[in-house]
Amino acid sequence: MQPPAEHVHWLFATGFLSLGLCLLGEAVVGTEVWRRRPWRAYLWPSLAFGLGVFMWPVMVFFTNSTLHMLAHGAWAEVLMFAGAVELALVRGKLQSNWWRLAMTAAFVVSGAAFLVHEQNTWLFQRSAFLHHLLGWTLLVAAVFPLARVVRPRSQAAAAGFALTFVVIAVLLYCDRDVAPVFGHISELAGTPRR
Amino acid sequence: MTRLLPVAVFVALLMPAQAFAHATLEHTSPGFEQRLGSSPRKVTLDFDQYIKALPRSLQLYSSHGSIPVARVRSDGRILEGSLPARLHRGGYTLRWHALSGDGHVVSGVFTFGVRAAAPAPTDAFGASGPTRAEDAVRWLYFLSLALLVGGLGFRLLVARRPLPARFYAVTGIGAFATLNVGIAAFLLRAEDALQLPFGRLLYGDLRPIAQTRFGTAFIAMTLGFALVTAFLFLSWLTGKELLLWPAFLLGLAFVSGLSLSGHSAADAGSSWKSELADWAHLSAACLWIGGLVQLAIVVWPLMPDARRSAFIGFSRLATVCIAVLLLAGVYLSILRLPQLNDLWTTGYGQVLLVKIGLVAVALAWGGLHKLVAVPAVAAGGVLPRLRASLVGESLVGMSVLLAAAVLVNAKPPVQPAPTPPSASSVQK
Repeated sequence: MQPPAEHVHWLFATGFLSLGLCLLGEAVVGTEVWRRRPWRAYLWPSLAFGLGVFMWPVMVFFTNSTLHMLAHGAWAEVLMFAGAVELALVRGKLQSNWWRLAMTAAFVVSGAAFLVHEQNTWLFQRSAFLHHLLGWTLLVAAVFPLARVVRPRSQAAAAGFALTFVVIAVLLYCDRDVAPVFGHISELAGTPRR
Repeated sequence: MTRLLPVAVFVALLMPAQAFAHATLEHTSPGFEQRLGSSPRKVTLDFDQYIKALPRSLQLYSSHGSIPVARVRSDGRILEGSLPARLHRGGYTLRWHALSGDGHVVSGVFTFGVRAAAPAPTDAFGASGPTRAEDAVRWLYFLSLALLVGGLGFRLLVARRPLPARFYAVTGIGAFATLNVGIAAFLLRAEDALQLPFGRLLYGDLRPIAQTRFGTAFIAMTLGFALVTAFLFLSWLTGKELLLWPAFLLGLAFVSGLSLSGHSAADAGSSWKSELADWAHLSAACLWIGGLVQLAIVVWPLMPDARRSAFIGFSRLATVCIAVLLLAGVYLSILRLPQLNDLWTTGYGQVLLVKIGLVAVALAWGGLHKLVAVPAVAAGGVLPRLRASLVGESLVGMSVLLAAAVLVNAKPPVQPAPTPPSASSVQK
């Protein structure tokens, strides 16, 4: 038995929203205040790593097409990798700030995977529109983790980085098959069936 | 209640998603690998979106070749075609292609049987079986498992003390490779079954392949080794060596995916004993070769003070591994090749002979270490070429894995069916 796709998208959206809110909290109060309780430093990297681990079941059970399987595999790997690097930086296992480029790479790979795996045009259907939007959002927002590498104390970079996850969460909440509510944008997508 | 919420979220996240952009096959009649009691009149494919039929949208094959499908038509989300009046008893392959509403051609294959078991989709008509590329990928998979599981086994059973960071680098490479090479192996098998060029394979429906033994093993092993990777990383991050134990035990357990989906599980004569023997054979090989690699490239260059104890400890472990390897290997060889002359008269037997030859070289090399190097090292002697010798033994072990990869992808000779009891003996 497989649950409706929208449920899984919404659960991942919740994960990203939590992640974004943690980052936003840190951006608002400042890193020193945020890390007065040491466990808070691990919060968002752990969420990213955990979301990567949970993406693997989606990949292996989602074999309706090769393209989607590979896209979910790419998201699983980059989420795990980027989360792992951030955890290692917090823990002090990795020292160089350049390791933060892992998150930039994760944004670029994830965005590219969204754009490549969505084969329809922007206005084909709601999910196509949102996949394009997600892809370009991630590609453009890759500038924020990049800025965190060169200017680690930049409030703008921290806030932009945090808000990117909030935006991704909102887009994921809207993403799935909502034809029963809104209908398909293109008639080619067929009759809404749920 | 607050405790139940995270558990509920965790369970829900474990469940997979379905998300479609182009038309996806939802239901077929006959079903995937369905055994039918009588010949079907038509085939029907039900998609989730609007599709259009193409020339040769439905292609039906028996083991003898193509069978024409008449009146192929699409009606909204339905693609259907009429079959000849009567299909003979046997297995059938149906290849389908349709123009999705988004303008892409979606494709797939499934099999069914008429008064007979359906062949697996990986044995569909036109599939050529494992290629040289699959042999290479299978070999890489064995090597990845050896680096990961063997490395963990060496750390926990032999070294029993913290190892330098290179240990995590080597096992981490093994974990990463296990996940990615596994995906490559699955896609290569799907490519062969679907018989599609890469561009169209991207839109190929992989579900029939995922429902085979091979596909189930792929799913289980990918999930299992994702967890192993997570435990390995957390052990490195936190410095808690205890986390290596679940990684090692899970790794050993999920190695069984290969045994539960290969010859030892699917071929005639297979049983739980053959599956257990296959798992023990593979696990012992991983521990032996992965341990050798750790000894040669982690302990020897980076921990001079630990060389003696590690070398002697590994020698003991290797002796057990070799014994298990030989016992399980001989049992499996007898099971698959009951006639001695199968060894030189069949392709499978010839590859097995090559493997046995390589194993003999590896055994001789290991025996030399056991009989000459271990006493010398135990007595405090210094053997300057020992590291090079360990690397050499590792390379021979890896070449054994290459022969094993070819062997796993080859088909053992068909065994004669057991003679049925005579009517008189049944009456007695």
